[in-house]
Amino acid sequence: MITLGHYVVLSAILFGIGIFGILTRRNAIGILMSLELMFNAVNINMVSFSKFFTPEGVYGELFAIFIIAVAAAESVLGLAIILAIYRKKQTVNADEMNIMKY
Amino acid sequence: MALVIFYLLSFLTVVAAILMVTSRNIFHSALYLAAVLFGVAGIFVLLNSYFLAGIQVLIYIGAVIVLTIFVINLTHKITGADVPQFNKQIVPAFVVSLLSTVLIILAVLKTDWFHRMQGGNVAIVDNTALIGKQFLTDFIIPFEVISVLLLAALIGAIVLVAKDRGDEK
Repeated sequence: MITLGHYVVLSAILFGIGIFGILTRRNAIGILMSLELMFNAVNINMVSFSKFFTPEGVYGELFAIFIIAVAAAESVLGLAIILAIYRKKQTVNADEMNIMKY
Repeated sequence: MALVIFYLLSFLTVVAAILMVTSRNIFHSALYLAAVLFGVAGIFVLLNSYFLAGIQVLIYIGAVIVLTIFVINLTHKITGADVPQFNKQIVPAFVVSLLSTVLIILAVLKTDWFHRMQGGNVAIVDNTALIGKQFLTDFIIPFEVISVLLLAALIGAIVLVAKDRGDEK
């Protein structure tokens, strides 16, 4: 019998790994990928809470689908910004991007 | 039986995620991310939400990972294996992420979920039809807003990446 705690603990572990990736990566593409990992952790949470608390509704899954759509849009825009910066500055490292710094 | 499958999937997912954030080659990192997404799709199947598992494979692995690999290849000279991939705050970052994970896990283990739960894990039903109905009745406004958002993201990405016309003339 898989309980709700199993899913939430798995989601917390994935979320922590995502935080670690975001904080340590220099490459901006790596940061975006760690962000996708955190989105997935949240999605597991959404669906499992929905399954265990409102078994007859699908609200968590609807929210997860919206999260996936927004994450896809965010990923596309982030990668476009990274490509534009790469064209201008020849770098994708987040610690070398300081063109908006005064 | 389901518990064994759950542990196998979680093991695959967590190991792939750890390899993803620690891999030096960003391309390997993208492939490990694909493995993580497959594992999460399996978790969705265990949660009886087959539609979401299908969407996960189609959109994340089929579109987002491919797009990421495209961008990695377009910027490949910078992301070679000899360039340092991690910044200097790796130890504090490890402490922060570990502490937040432990905090969440402790909070989860201390909470009494059972007397708040309305029902256990329900019988296997295909809720794809219900999702479709909900999207076109109760959630019609967010559904339309998300389509406008996707259109805006599409146009924005083209505007950001397309070369200025003035440069070419």
